[in-house]
Amino acid sequence: MKRSTAVFLQGLVIENPLAIIMIGLCSALAVTTSVANGIGMSLAMTFVIVASEFIISLFRKLIPESVRIPIFIIIIAAFTTMVDLVMKAYFPELSKAMGVFIPLIVVNCIIMGRVEAFASKESVPHAVLDALGMGLGYTWVLIGMSVVRELLGNGTILGIQVLPETYQPILFFVLPPGGFLVFALFISLNLFLKKKWLESPLGCPDPEGGK
Amino acid sequence: MIKSMFRLGIVLALFASGACVALAVVYNITGPVIKTQEERALNAALKDIFPESDGFSDITKELSSSDPKIQILSAYAMTKGGSLVGVAIKATGPSYSSNAILLSGINMDGTIKQVRVLQISDTPGLGANAANPGYYVDKAKKITFIGQFEGKKVTDPFRVKEDVQAITASTITSRSLTAIVKVSAEAASAYISRKGGAK
Repeated sequence: MKRSTAVFLQGLVIENPLAIIMIGLCSALAVTTSVANGIGMSLAMTFVIVASEFIISLFRKLIPESVRIPIFIIIIAAFTTMVDLVMKAYFPELSKAMGVFIPLIVVNCIIMGRVEAFASKESVPHAVLDALGMGLGYTWVLIGMSVVRELLGNGTILGIQVLPETYQPILFFVLPPGGFLVFALFISLNLFLKKKWLESPLGCPDPEGGK
Repeated sequence: MIKSMFRLGIVLALFASGACVALAVVYNITGPVIKTQEERALNAALKDIFPESDGFSDITKELSSSDPKIQILSAYAMTKGGSLVGVAIKATGPSYSSNAILLSGINMDGTIKQVRVLQISDTPGLGANAANPGYYVDKAKKITFIGQFEGKKVTDPFRVKEDVQAITASTITSRSLTAIVKVSAEAASAYISRKGGAK
């Protein structure tokens, strides 16, 4: 398999940022109480990680080693603020629902982690592919979790009543402990997928230098 | 050593300025849109609470909050043909995760006309249900959390779990929002009675 394909596929399952690397969990558990929030958060986060990895990889030779962390934070914070402003202007409802979690993308460990471990050392196309893979890996887990939590905890999906009116919502799933339970289930699901993936002919050996 | 510090400082400053320029561009594009969005939301909310009124004037400076934690952001005297028909107050106070903003309309007779949640960032599915039109504290009568304030007298005690029904598992949100409504209603009825309305 070509290295670029491997780099992209890494983030989906084998090195899923949430279920395998297990970083950026706080906001993931907090926003997955409704599907709309899950979609909004994953889009915002994917945009910020792609843009940040792109810019940082582009300027990686100009960033001095000793001040790289402040520079990473400036770049990530700038993109996060842009997302926040754009959402406030064009999607006020979503922005209201997401509250404080959009500004908190700045300190999302996934972005910091990938920028530090990958984008600062790799070429632009690989950095963007890595960001897309990580972003999509984050997205499917986040949306999956929010579907389960909103469906069981509120009987709805995207605010539309799916289960019959007589269904008594299990509030537990919307509360933080329910978040942990659902997250644990997604970790197991992801481990299962990873095992299948590595056994299948598609299974890519860990691309060295993939980190 | 000094030289390298200087160099690092310049590099950092360059990156920061680059980010600033990019942000300034985005801010200039989105700023006016955000402002009109907010204005439109406020106008729509005022019109929604007092559909019969045909004008309003800003009376923010004439009101004061009785609770140091709760702040009156703006207040409007709603008029119809020049005479006062009620007062709308936008007030903010601390809630579970951060400040919540409510818009309350108060009638001339000192009852609450309607309450709207303009901003709340409490837990989705719990405290945020205060703003959910499909979440009922009284399922049988289909009354929402803020809907229960309709027609309530300013002189009522406003105690959560006594005369105010709480949102399930969100006592803090319920208490904070109730306090904001109470302070707004008191300030509004003080203004109304100063203007010669009913007690």
